[in-house]
Amino acid sequence: MTVKRITFLQELLGLIGLEGRLGLSWISSAEAQKFVQVVSDFTEKIRSLGPNPLPAFSDSRKAAAAELMQLDFKGDGYDQQSQSMA
Amino acid sequence: MVMINKVKAWLEDGTVDVFLGYKEIDHHPLPHCFTSEHIEDVADLVVSPVRYPLEKIATHMTAIEPDIKIGMLARDCNNRALNVLFLWNQIKAENIKTLSVNCCPSKLKKHGDCSYLEPEKMGAFKKQVGVDNNLEAEDLDAYGQKERLDRWMYEFQKCIKCYGCRNICPVCFCKECSLEHDELVKTGPLLPEIPIFHMVRAVHMAGRCIDCGLCEAACPMDIPLRLLYGKVNEIVMNLFDYETGSSAENPPFSILGDAVTLEPKPIEAAQTA
Repeated sequence: MTVKRITFLQELLGLIGLEGRLGLSWISSAEAQKFVQVVSDFTEKIRSLGPNPLPAFSDSRKAAAAELMQLDFKGDGYDQQSQSMA
Repeated sequence: MVMINKVKAWLEDGTVDVFLGYKEIDHHPLPHCFTSEHIEDVADLVVSPVRYPLEKIATHMTAIEPDIKIGMLARDCNNRALNVLFLWNQIKAENIKTLSVNCCPSKLKKHGDCSYLEPEKMGAFKKQVGVDNNLEAEDLDAYGQKERLDRWMYEFQKCIKCYGCRNICPVCFCKECSLEHDELVKTGPLLPEIPIFHMVRAVHMAGRCIDCGLCEAACPMDIPLRLLYGKVNEIVMNLFDYETGSSAENPPFSILGDAVTLEPKPIEAAQTA
């Protein structure tokens, strides 16, 4: 089930342009060297891909949301807004 | 007329308890539940380009009255959705009787989807910065990784979280929805979290979406949902050779009755990835 879901998710993330950031490995507790190898390789891979691009999008959205919350929707805030803009 | 007589006969001889179809009210064909008590209403049964997920209404009825026998008008998309609902034990196949109607009776239409309409034309701005709803998933590969992300995020950030895509979806039947679970996807008055909101829904459409396109038709912000879920179906097809809605076989993500048929190839791929 895990391999199905992860393989599926890798493909789906690829569609929206986030490929390569999800990995899956089976490592037994006796395979210390394999663990080191897999983690180092993946760290290196992520480093070369650069930081996660998603926070940049959510930051700009948070700013937009904050701006929206400041608008006065109840009274005649809209008119004042448009007058001050004009 | 043949259709109306048939529905009348079904209701009268008790083949079905209720019949789900459309009735024109103020020139709007709206979903209507025809019953034997009001058999004269059946004369107003209409078939038109208008589509609603009648099988979703059937699911809700079955939840309240498990043994009710339901007849319904069914296009091909309705039939596919019914297959999925039978699989997931939401409706019993023996309680449903469908009256098949033509998907696309118009000769004007080359586009072979279930909708009678020509595909919508996209505006210049959307074409430049977003994702054209009429594209195929492969077309997106032409964009680079960064551009693809930017374009999808443009589409997702328009979302006003109306839940319309989920509410109209004939195969969305969960009592508890992940999209309303605060710890998974932040709920609240404003702006859904992106892209997690849309991705969660996309993942849940794997092995379920029957490509009826109602989500995209319902979306007030014109997000190319059909394309997104189409890709989901394509992945499920390529990886697991499963075509959603076409068969009574278990979908690849169902845990119960899971037959291990998967070749070891994806495991290798996952390890080298």
